[in-house]
Amino acid sequence: MANIRQLDKRRKSVRNIRKITRTMELIATARFKKAMDRAAAATDYTKRITQIVQDLGKSGTDVSHPLLQAHETVKAVDMLVLTANRGLCGGYNGSVVRAATQRRQEIQEQADAGQTLASGKRGISALRFAGIPLEKTYTEFEDQPSFDAVAKIADELITRYITGQVDRVDVAYTRFVSSSKQIAVVETLLPFAGIEVPAKDATKEAASGAGSKVEGSSIRDDYEFLPSAGAILEEVVPASFRARLFKCFLDAAVSEQIARMIAMKSATENAGDLIKSLSRTFNRARQSKITQEIMEIIGGVEALG
Amino acid sequence: MSESSGVHCVVVTPEKTELDTQCDSINLPMFDGEFGILPGRAPMVGRLGFGIMKLKNGGKEERWFVDGGFVQVTRDGVYILTDRLLKPESVSKAEAEEDLRKATELKPTTAEAAALRDRALAQARAKLRVAGGV
Repeated sequence: MANIRQLDKRRKSVRNIRKITRTMELIATARFKKAMDRAAAATDYTKRITQIVQDLGKSGTDVSHPLLQAHETVKAVDMLVLTANRGLCGGYNGSVVRAATQRRQEIQEQADAGQTLASGKRGISALRFAGIPLEKTYTEFEDQPSFDAVAKIADELITRYITGQVDRVDVAYTRFVSSSKQIAVVETLLPFAGIEVPAKDATKEAASGAGSKVEGSSIRDDYEFLPSAGAILEEVVPASFRARLFKCFLDAAVSEQIARMIAMKSATENAGDLIKSLSRTFNRARQSKITQEIMEIIGGVEALG
Repeated sequence: MSESSGVHCVVVTPEKTELDTQCDSINLPMFDGEFGILPGRAPMVGRLGFGIMKLKNGGKEERWFVDGGFVQVTRDGVYILTDRLLKPESVSKAEAEEDLRKATELKPTTAEAAALRDRALAQARAKLRVAGGV
C-alpha cells in the first residue's frame, strides 16, 4: 500500500524539522544569555550618568538643553522602527510593525513631514509592503548591537532635532520588561525626557546666598565642576540620549532572542505531537495490511482444502 | 580614598565596564588640556576631551585613547565615562582622516550646528594626532 510509505515519509520529514527547530531553540537560548549579559553590563553607564545628573541638580544648576525643549509646533516627526533581520520568532516582528504603522497613521494626521527609519530586514520589507516610504534602512544590527553604530544614528537624530529639521522623534521597539514579558511599544525619544533632576531645594539654596550653601552641603556633595555645571550638562544630555537609544537596541535584541526561543520551543513540541499521531496512524495502517494479508492466505487455504 | 592605596580607577562605556584598576596616578585629556589626578583629589566632575589617558602604576605607564565623556572624582574612586576606550594602536588613521574630511565639509548655518561641527572637528583631529597623522 502506497499509503504506508507516504506516512513513513512524512514522519521522517517531521522528525527532521523537529531536529532543526530544537537546534534553533538551543542557539536562541545561548544568544539570549549573551544578549542579556550585554544589557546588564550596559546599566553601569546609565547608573553613573544618573549619578552625575543628580549631583548637577544638587549644585543648583538650571537644567536646560535644546534636546530637552519641546518644539512649539510639531510639523515633522521621525520614527525609528527596530525589528529583527530574521523571522521564525513568533509575533515579534509583526507586533512591532503593527504598532509602528498605527503610529505612522496618527503622525500623518497631525504632521506633514518626517522620516521613517527601519532596522531589520523583516521590518523593512513589511513596512515597504504597507506602502510606507523608508528614508533609511539598517540591517547591520544582530543580536549584539555595537554602540558605535547606534551612536551614529543617535548623532544624526540629535543634529536633525537641534537644527529644527524634525520636531519629535519616536521609536518603535520591543521593550524588555522581564524574561517572561516583552511588549511592543512606541516611545517618544525626543524631546528627551530621560533626565530626572531631583527638584530639591538646591535652587533655593543657591538663591539665598553662597555662604549658607557651603555650610548646608556635605563634603560629598561639594563637587568642583570643570569647566562649569552648565557646560557639563551640555555634554551629559546627548550622552544620556545615546545611552537611551542604545538601551532600546539592546532591549530589542534580547526580546528577539526570547521570542525566537519560545517560538522554536513550541514548534519542537508541535512536531513531537505530530510525530506521535503520525506513528499511530502508520502502525494502524500496517497492522490492518497484515491482517488483510493473513485473511487472504486463510481464504486461499480453505478454497484449496 | 586613602593616601596610601593609590587611585581606584573605573572606566565605563555604554557597552560595559572596560577597566577597573588601582594605580598611582591618572593623567586625563580634559576639554582644555591635560589634567592629573593623584590620590586624595577633592571631588569633582569634569568634561573630557579627546586624547590619551595615562595610568601610572609604579614605573609602568598604560596608555588609552579616550573619546570624550566625563570624569567624576569621588572619595571612593575615579569614574570615567566615555563613549569609547581604545588602545592607541587601534585608532585607524584612514578613519580619522575620513572623519576630518566629513567634519570640514559641514556647512553650519546656526550656532548649534556650528557647535556640533566644532566637536566633530576636535574629535577627528585628536584621533589623527593619536594615529600619528599630524
